[in-house]
Amino acid sequence: MFGHAPDDGDESDETESSCGCEAGSGESDGSAESRSTSEVRSDGGEPSDERRPTSELCSDGGIDADVPGDPGSAGGAGSHPSSDDEFEPVQVFPDSTEQDLRPGADSCYKCSTCDTNCPVAEVDDEFPGPKFQGPEQWRLSRDDAPEIDDSIDKCSNCMRCDHACPTDVPLSQMHNTARGRYVDDQLSKLSIQYLRKKILSNYGRLGRLGSLFPRTTNFVMGNRAVRWITDRTLGITDEREFPEFATQTFRSWWDERGGAQVQSEDRRVAYFHGDYANYNTPEVGKALVRVFESFGYEVAVPRQRCSGTPMFANGMLDDARRAATVNVTEFDALIEEGYDVVCSCTSCSMALRQEYPELFDIDGTERVAANTYDAVEYLRIHEDLREELADAETDADDELPDLAYHAPCHARNQGLAEQALEVGDAVEGVDVDDVGDSCSGISGTYGWKSKHYDTSMAIGDEMFDHMEDSEAETGMTECPTCAMQMEHGTGYDVRHTLELLEATLVGEGEAW
Amino acid sequence: MESNTGALVIGGGSTGTGVARDLAMRGVDVTLVEKGNLTHGTTGRMHGLLHSGGRYAVSDQPSAVECIEENRILRDIASHCVEETGGLFVKRPEDTEEYFETKLEGCQECGIPTEVLSGAEAREMEPYLAQDVDRAIRVPDGAIDPFRLCVANAESATNHGARIETHAEVVDLLVDEPAGTDEAAVVGAEIRHESGTGSRTHGEQTEIETIYADHVINAAGAWAGQLGDLAGVDVAVQPAKGAMTVTNVRQVDTVINRCRPKGDADILVPHETTAILGTTDEAVDDPEHYPEEQREVDLLFEQLTDLVPILEDARTLRTFWGVRPLYEPPGTGTQDTGDITRDFFLLDHADRDGVTGFTSIVGGKFTTYRAMAEEISDHVCDRLGVSADCRTADVPLPGSESPGRLDDAMDRYGLRSPIARRSAERLGSKTEAVLGTDEPNPVVCECEAVTRAELQNAIESAGSDLNDVRIRTRASMGNCQGGICAHRMAAELSPEYESPTVRAAHDELLQERWKGERHALWGEQLAQAALNYALHATTMNLDRDPARTDDDPEYAAFDTGPPGHTAGTGDTTAAADGGRPTGSRSADEEGHDGD
Repeated sequence: MFGHAPDDGDESDETESSCGCEAGSGESDGSAESRSTSEVRSDGGEPSDERRPTSELCSDGGIDADVPGDPGSAGGAGSHPSSDDEFEPVQVFPDSTEQDLRPGADSCYKCSTCDTNCPVAEVDDEFPGPKFQGPEQWRLSRDDAPEIDDSIDKCSNCMRCDHACPTDVPLSQMHNTARGRYVDDQLSKLSIQYLRKKILSNYGRLGRLGSLFPRTTNFVMGNRAVRWITDRTLGITDEREFPEFATQTFRSWWDERGGAQVQSEDRRVAYFHGDYANYNTPEVGKALVRVFESFGYEVAVPRQRCSGTPMFANGMLDDARRAATVNVTEFDALIEEGYDVVCSCTSCSMALRQEYPELFDIDGTERVAANTYDAVEYLRIHEDLREELADAETDADDELPDLAYHAPCHARNQGLAEQALEVGDAVEGVDVDDVGDSCSGISGTYGWKSKHYDTSMAIGDEMFDHMEDSEAETGMTECPTCAMQMEHGTGYDVRHTLELLEATLVGEGEAW
Repeated sequence: MESNTGALVIGGGSTGTGVARDLAMRGVDVTLVEKGNLTHGTTGRMHGLLHSGGRYAVSDQPSAVECIEENRILRDIASHCVEETGGLFVKRPEDTEEYFETKLEGCQECGIPTEVLSGAEAREMEPYLAQDVDRAIRVPDGAIDPFRLCVANAESATNHGARIETHAEVVDLLVDEPAGTDEAAVVGAEIRHESGTGSRTHGEQTEIETIYADHVINAAGAWAGQLGDLAGVDVAVQPAKGAMTVTNVRQVDTVINRCRPKGDADILVPHETTAILGTTDEAVDDPEHYPEEQREVDLLFEQLTDLVPILEDARTLRTFWGVRPLYEPPGTGTQDTGDITRDFFLLDHADRDGVTGFTSIVGGKFTTYRAMAEEISDHVCDRLGVSADCRTADVPLPGSESPGRLDDAMDRYGLRSPIARRSAERLGSKTEAVLGTDEPNPVVCECEAVTRAELQNAIESAGSDLNDVRIRTRASMGNCQGGICAHRMAAELSPEYESPTVRAAHDELLQERWKGERHALWGEQLAQAALNYALHATTMNLDRDPARTDDDPEYAAFDTGPPGHTAGTGDTTAAADGGRPTGSRSADEEGHDGD
């Protein structure tokens, strides 16, 4: 068993110190790129121009303004030393769905770059696009009545608008908050729409149940009749095949092998596997463990819940907050013991790094955000991964196919769109083709809804085409739902970058 | 050109339109002339506060009582112009307890409902209030849209038979001085219609009209002294300028006043999508030409960030100045304009100067415009021998007959939620009539959520005057200040108006936007201005428009044709966006006489 019992000790005293990490260690240079543009604007000119950059404004407007070192505004403590002492709004709202994001509209110049980068707006003329959903709608909103336009439901939460915006409008934070309000105030708790959101966003519960009798569940869910019924009653599309539950979950495998096989005082990572790697693709989790152990890391697998990504995307902010509280508490305790957090799913790392600090005010959120990494990113920072891969004994040529790689939007937002290509480049005998920068279109649970299925596939078209054009006939990505979409659109087997590392460096894992 | 009228009202601000409505409703034949747009003078340049009277509850209790009475009336008759925001008088540690208590007692004495809040309670209402605000008095202040209010008054007057002429300047008053007497009578005015009569069309022939009137009412506000001169009477108006800055979003949803004896820069008013910082108070010589100084803007921020610190970071859209038409009876000798009474004075020039047929109205406050209009109308009716009761306190203004039906707007007109809501709030009871169109109805101004149908409705009354369209709809008053929508608004004039008219109207709107924008150009709004400039230069070639020059456009310069082909000469082969360094946007040249 892993040696880290959940430590619920009060970490709040320590939170202060974490702001130092952000500017200090070289590690953070490679991280938190998603919001880093705010730095560009923070060095303002003459005194009269020194009005603080807006990314900080929005954190003032948000609930987390009282937490120092907010990575959500990567300008960091240095560029706005005054934000904490000068202005500190009281937390008056009962929860974050009530936060006032109107000041976030200040940095929008209506250049419309977000709209031109929105994959949903590209294929759906009815969707008004992120500029309307975000800054325009917030600016026009009043505090006294629900008036979130129902088109918010069409946003897939791919967060490409965040990446596109030249001026750091907190677009996805606005969308997530608006969606939370919409679901809270404007959606009947008895509606099918609400029920569907509840089911899809709480996949972990379903997963736990399904994994009790994986074969039966897979048989039932694979049944066309059952899928027809869920389509008609719940609006969950019958075009897609439900992901199969693994016969053994990752955690059960972890327990069975006796937890960590490597002990270390100074090389420690806490693995956030999320629900999907646990219930559906334990091979990804196993790959992570074996790869990190091969580098001499002690791996911990603490108690955890879903990262919350499907909950944000469905406006279930209360559910997300509960899940986030467990995750932050557990992982923050390990960070205290010298662990860094690694994720195998880029949406999970996105949630821990960006969405938690933007949406929640949980003790330790900032520290977890500052110490969370994508697993491959982490290895690239701390190890000479290219060298190791080049020197690997494995004769990859014989067993590994060429790969058609799709960078998930959430990887792109973390500045990680290129890393798998560079990793693949270092593996002898394997060609990794970039299938372009389009969105896969599924965006988590989005493409699972009957009403969004066509949109989802229309967005995915470009990626499917590029995959077909590639010589490779196996796909690779870091996001489980992108993988579903890639498989659904092309019939290719789709693998995870960690599996490529495992095959090359450790020589174990699932057959290719 | 000649015409006759019962009462000629000079000035299209709140007082003038209020008087025109009141008199028209009493059956008087009224003509109103205004040299610019409605609200052109001071009315369009105020912070939009609907006073509860709290501000005057210590220094000027009669004004305070009048304010709370009119406040209640306007909530009723002008509901589509009023937002019931409520207001707070907030006390900082350095403000005295004594004054706080005096203010509270004063409000109570004047019948202004109050509630005392702790600092924490006040911050619960307004989270962005400063941490050290320690107490607050809650009063029924509100926000009011002066543009909509004046337009509604003018519309009501028109509905009762009045004639309203904008862009119609009084060039002379007709004074009849019978030989051998020392009596004099104002019998009318000579009017210069800048672009013909009726609704405005740019480029129409200027016309001079002589309007004979039984009574002439000088409601020209800060310009009342100049009009008085035309009749040979002395109206000693002291214009006093005040600066106001508009933020991009509402930092507060409640009017925030500082609880201390009246001073500069002590009020923040939520107004539609924005908040307005106000104001300063400084005497000027000429209501039209006075310095607009950065230090005034700085003072607003310096003072008001003490109350709402987030203002430090706020994006600002524009700064504008208004001139108060202050008046004090001769011999009062007040030194500071801040001490001059805000009460209004009706100057009956027959009694005062021996000039009959002429009444001036000076001083006063926007909130009590209706009561002022009632008193003036009583006086004029008395002079005209008309006996009819004032009904303006009871009959709602057009648009305020019933609240705009929001659900209808959303479902029936296919508008997205915040757009439907904003439209219905602006249009009030006219929502259905305006939005119920069979035509496609896209959003033209995205920042303020103004649709084509609303613009077309405004154009019906405003003609080609896009600044008039602007004050009726708020189009181009949002964060991009017309950057994204000014040309779309201009396009709405076509095909009814010809290209030169549309171009002139577009240009005038852009210049007016620029006039206020240039005072708030730092941070985000400077970036917005740079983007707007680039957009306008590259898409409409506004920085160097061949269609505006007398030369034939060098079309070849835009398309160099196949390789090797030479087109145009010299620098004209440059891309269309190559603006001259001395572009048309130098701040000094833009003293445009807009609103």
